[in-house]
Amino acid sequence: MAEPVIEAKGLGIKFAMNRRRKRSLREMFIHGTKRDPNPAGADFWPLRDISFEIGQGECVGIVGKNGTGKSTLLKMIAGVLIPDEGTVEVRGKVAPLLELRAGFNDQLTGRENVHLVGSLHGMTPKMLEERFDDIVEFANIREGYIDMPVRHYSSGMKVRLGFALISQLEHPVMLVDEVLAVGDKAFKKKCYDAITRMLKNNRTMVLVSHSESDLKRFCTRGLYVKDGRLVLDTDIQSALDAYNADVKAEQEEKKRADERKKSGEDGKAA
Amino acid sequence: MASRALAVWQNRKVVGLLVRRDLKVKYQKSILGYAWSMLEPLAMAAIYFFVFGLMFDTNRGVPGGDDAPGGYMLFLISGLLPWLWFSVSLGEAPKALISHAKLITTMKVPREIFPVAVVTGKFVDYLFTWPVLLLFVFALGGRTSVEGLLVWLPLAIIVQFTFSLGITLLLASVNVLMRDIERIVRILNRVLFYASAIIIPSSLVLDSDTFPEWFKTLYELNPLLGIFKMHHAVWFPADAPNGFILAATVGGAVLTMIIGYATFRRLETSVLKEL
Repeated sequence: MAEPVIEAKGLGIKFAMNRRRKRSLREMFIHGTKRDPNPAGADFWPLRDISFEIGQGECVGIVGKNGTGKSTLLKMIAGVLIPDEGTVEVRGKVAPLLELRAGFNDQLTGRENVHLVGSLHGMTPKMLEERFDDIVEFANIREGYIDMPVRHYSSGMKVRLGFALISQLEHPVMLVDEVLAVGDKAFKKKCYDAITRMLKNNRTMVLVSHSESDLKRFCTRGLYVKDGRLVLDTDIQSALDAYNADVKAEQEEKKRADERKKSGEDGKAA
Repeated sequence: MASRALAVWQNRKVVGLLVRRDLKVKYQKSILGYAWSMLEPLAMAAIYFFVFGLMFDTNRGVPGGDDAPGGYMLFLISGLLPWLWFSVSLGEAPKALISHAKLITTMKVPREIFPVAVVTGKFVDYLFTWPVLLLFVFALGGRTSVEGLLVWLPLAIIVQFTFSLGITLLLASVNVLMRDIERIVRILNRVLFYASAIIIPSSLVLDSDTFPEWFKTLYELNPLLGIFKMHHAVWFPADAPNGFILAATVGGAVLTMIIGYATFRRLETSVLKEL
């Protein structure tokens, strides 16, 4: 296989559990370090020992429960979080669809924002000029709205404009985080078509989603993240099966625990 | 470090965009945009001229003597305009990263560009004040010298840029983790204003018998003193800094830059987690 496009080696990141990380000077002087409810050293690793390689043209889905670090992993790949352990290397530019409204300044108009954020992502003025109409059409912004300040937009409009802009980028790596959940049916369909088109051009994509149908539609490979570890790296169907099996087991466990509790209470009442 | 500097240079367009966006936001809401931005320094100059020039007769301390071309009024204006560049940068420094949290958490750009954009943006504002400065120069009959324009002016700007950027890098990153910085900055702003010979000629401190030697040395070690002596020296050659003050200024600015950048890099990992 050719050189992998995304290469993660022993990736790990930690967050401090204590309040020290955002403590004001006043607290530091008055309380010292003694009164801290979570003393220093109580580090929390949302992700640890993650290693994988993703080759060109692959579409990989990340599966896992809420709060297992899927988005954190995506952010590290995008380079907006720096890992505390290990390295992640991405060969080629990244088009991040992490949060679509991001970067839009409420004071500026839609047009100005498209130009600003587009250039921030490395589009040339010429490219922007050529594709501006496509972007507006894709985003389905009503006549005249594009020259209105973004603060008057509905949240759906902002997201649509964001997706329309990012999907015009020609970067070889795409990172998508849950953004397909937004928008109405017609817009969703357009997004699916856009992503399919991009994947055809041999681009690499990493997708975080809770929607099985989305994952199955695009992904060929699945990474299952559980409790901060990468437990499975297989095809998407197996990853989803493993995830579903775990969820089921957990639910049954909970049910049993509830029943036990209930019967205990009944016993007491009797 | 060289590679990061290169990355910032490659992203200079982004800096330009951020600067232009800020100017746009700042000037589009008010019809008088530019006039407003000049009103503050002019009002300040009028107040200080009234208090210090007329009531306390600070004229006596203007470098070059009473009849120096331009007088106390030009001394005030030529100090206040570059001071605003520093003071507004300092005021925005703690927010440089926080206010762009959304961009920073979704896009991979060298994070240094946000502090750079703050200092650059205020520098552009400063350049915009030059027409007004020149207006005063002509009206008051101020005179410059070759040395003033070719040595002191560029040197003052370079040193001030370095110093402001160092401070901004430092405060922007520290403030994400300790939000008290914003309050400290306001006090700092006031203290530095009176400590840097912007409206009070430095000779009133340095040639006075009231202050002990150690205080004068401390006064001279403030990098801003040298910076504003250089700004003044463009119009008042007698205010040119001596060797000691010049060394303290350049050394202080470079040191601030090194400390600021080292702190910025050190805190970057935690800053990104907090934003």
